[in-house]
Amino acid sequence: MECRWLQIAKAEFFVLTARFKGHRKLFMGLVLSLGLLWAVYFAPLVVGLVMEVLTPITPIRVILQVMFPGLMRAVMLLLWMLLLIIPLGQALSEIKIGQWEILLASNVTTRDILVGTFLGKIPSYTLYVLVLAPLLLSPFLLALQVSLLGQLLIYTILTLMILTINWLSNIICAALQAKLGESSRGNDIAKALALLMGLIAIIPVLGLQLFATQFSVILGLNVFLVFPFTWSADLVSWLAITFNGINLTASQIAHFQNVLQFDLLTNGLLIVVFGVVCIGIGLLSAERLFTYQIGARSETVRTVKRENILLRGLRKISPSSFGSLVVTCFKTFFRQVQNLSKIAMALTLSVILPFLVILVYGQGSPITLDSLLPITGYGLAFMGIMAFSGTSFLESKDQLWMIQAVPRGTSRFVKARLVIAVLIALPLSLIPTTVLTIMMGLELFQFFWLFGYGYAMVCGAALFGTGITALNPNYEDIKSPVYTTSMMIANMICLFVTMASPFILSVITRFFIGVSLDTLLVTWGFLSAGVGRTIITAVFLLVLGALVVLVGTRRLGRPGT
Amino acid sequence: MVNNSICIKTEGLTKIFGSVQAIRELDLEVKSGSRFGFLGPNGAGKTTTVRILSGLLKQTSGTGTVCGYDVSTQRNSIKAVTGLLPETPGLYSKLSAVEFLEFIGALNGRNGDSLHQRIDRLLAILGLEGRQEDLLESYSSGMKQKVLMASTLLHDPQLVFLDEPTSRLDPAASALVKDLILLLAEENETSFFICTHITSFAEDVCDVIGIINEGQLVIVDSPHQIIESTKTRNLEEAYLKIVGGKVDRQTLLTWR
Repeated sequence: MECRWLQIAKAEFFVLTARFKGHRKLFMGLVLSLGLLWAVYFAPLVVGLVMEVLTPITPIRVILQVMFPGLMRAVMLLLWMLLLIIPLGQALSEIKIGQWEILLASNVTTRDILVGTFLGKIPSYTLYVLVLAPLLLSPFLLALQVSLLGQLLIYTILTLMILTINWLSNIICAALQAKLGESSRGNDIAKALALLMGLIAIIPVLGLQLFATQFSVILGLNVFLVFPFTWSADLVSWLAITFNGINLTASQIAHFQNVLQFDLLTNGLLIVVFGVVCIGIGLLSAERLFTYQIGARSETVRTVKRENILLRGLRKISPSSFGSLVVTCFKTFFRQVQNLSKIAMALTLSVILPFLVILVYGQGSPITLDSLLPITGYGLAFMGIMAFSGTSFLESKDQLWMIQAVPRGTSRFVKARLVIAVLIALPLSLIPTTVLTIMMGLELFQFFWLFGYGYAMVCGAALFGTGITALNPNYEDIKSPVYTTSMMIANMICLFVTMASPFILSVITRFFIGVSLDTLLVTWGFLSAGVGRTIITAVFLLVLGALVVLVGTRRLGRPGT
Repeated sequence: MVNNSICIKTEGLTKIFGSVQAIRELDLEVKSGSRFGFLGPNGAGKTTTVRILSGLLKQTSGTGTVCGYDVSTQRNSIKAVTGLLPETPGLYSKLSAVEFLEFIGALNGRNGDSLHQRIDRLLAILGLEGRQEDLLESYSSGMKQKVLMASTLLHDPQLVFLDEPTSRLDPAASALVKDLILLLAEENETSFFICTHITSFAEDVCDVIGIINEGQLVIVDSPHQIIESTKTRNLEEAYLKIVGGKVDRQTLLTWR
């Protein structure tokens, strides 16, 4: 068989375009043509028009010219992060090394696999480049009026850079998959890491969004000259400067030289060396990456130990068979690293939440419970959904058959899961509300209000999350569309209930009693109308959540049709 | 509540999935205490039948009773007196064998020392006592099948549905399961409804064999009678003669 890597690349391409089976060539041809049209015509046009509309091009041009090298480095950093982290996240959430066994058994060299998988991904990467690159680069190209030849060289450099990152991510993905894919424990860790990848990717992107100016200054520091993203950014900058159409003066070019430090040739050489080294490392390490080390009998076996004090306590509180069920569900929940990852992410966000609250209201501004409760409440509800919806409910359809095969098995199972959610909701609501209380100097009774409300919101969200997952169970992992759908639906309903319930009740009271809800709440003796409204929201969320769980449980237990 | 010593009775049981008729007009009678072997090629409708009879799936038409309970209206009662070993293992990978069986026991409303004693004894019989505290993720497919077998028998069901019980087991474990079935049927009068591809296993274990093909029950009789009526030497030959699928030697190499 000739060109085995080509066959592997073809297989990768077929997997990528599986949805368009039968019309692959037509689809890819159409998409790439549209992408090209977008890149060379529409994107520069749109960017130019937007810049013209927002503010005349001249002041922006000056700003872009001054900040150009720093911003270009920021843009390249963003591109590097995205192109490395997205495939890494995808590879971790769906570890598949079973195919390697088939390939290696077919007398395929490890290099063929590496090259084939790399080439197979190129069409999708090309599409990313065609869509993203013109949007990111057009403002600079317009500001410096870079010539057609200059633009062509810039896009060539960009394409080569993206291919290098693709190759690099391919090697890292293969190494991680080989390390984690051979054991179920490794698979579990991989899925947990894939969840956290989002957080890892969001932080620098958010950082760039919030501190673009500061970044452009900071990235001008010498220390960044050791990073490959700087070399590619500086090479693009030099090409734009060299082929500029605004007749930059010698002093202006000298200013750029001061900022960029390395000249065009040095940056070009560094990038070429980096690319060659990456290719070399990949080809040389291929043999090491694609090897099986762990066999079925040599895998580390995890043995369960004596139950901890919490589980023993649960058994004492509820010595019935339901207590046993709760304890077993507790074990399955906490032994999945993916769940720990979700809880860790929810806790991280819950600790960040107070800072966001302060950011919204401003440091030192007077904060009342009325203003604090809604944002904290929805923030905590979001965490509840993140922790309890979508995954790790059932591992497979067969598991569901087993639970269904027991009389009222599904309802007992869902009840046990809810007990766990209610228990986990305690730290999830206690930690952020305590941090918020300390940071804002709230009084004790305010803390109790905040915690009580937060706890009710997390429990309500957990009810929604569990109910929607029961309605639409996901047996796969976070890559599955079912997971995304469940998360999105649960979040949207929670947000809607949080925002709409006081409004709906207000309309009802006005219509039937002729009094506004706020007046009614104060008459009923609530601290304030705002506090009363939040209680209504929590009650609405809990009641509706319970209804969704009820419907979900019934549906889960219903015999198949 | 055994209905005239018949534990399974179906009349015109039909199941349609879209354009596929999985079961067609299935009329079946299985006596209490018998070991009924349900044979058929892949996709013949064996698993669908088991799922309907165990209350997991609604039939499109027809009626049926299991241990005297109606499959359309008394599913919970059926589940209480039956045990099901599914075709593929749906185990919790993060539980140990003991914890998983405790989970199944708790779902069935059992707990405490009596449950744990039963779990320990079952695991010992199945040869898993040394690994019972290890997480199920580290078990081989045969070991998982044994745990599933234990979970099916844990609540002492009157009727046990076994869907391919020995497909992942080594010969020794298969023999163990075979003896366990024979002993439970003899001592406890437990009825077994066994779906299998392995004709030798069915011939050894089952006292009645039903062969289903393309959703239709083709024959129901004792293994001996089936072999005799088809004028073959064993159940495998009889099965191939009834269902078809025997390819001659010349055709086998035409792909080369």
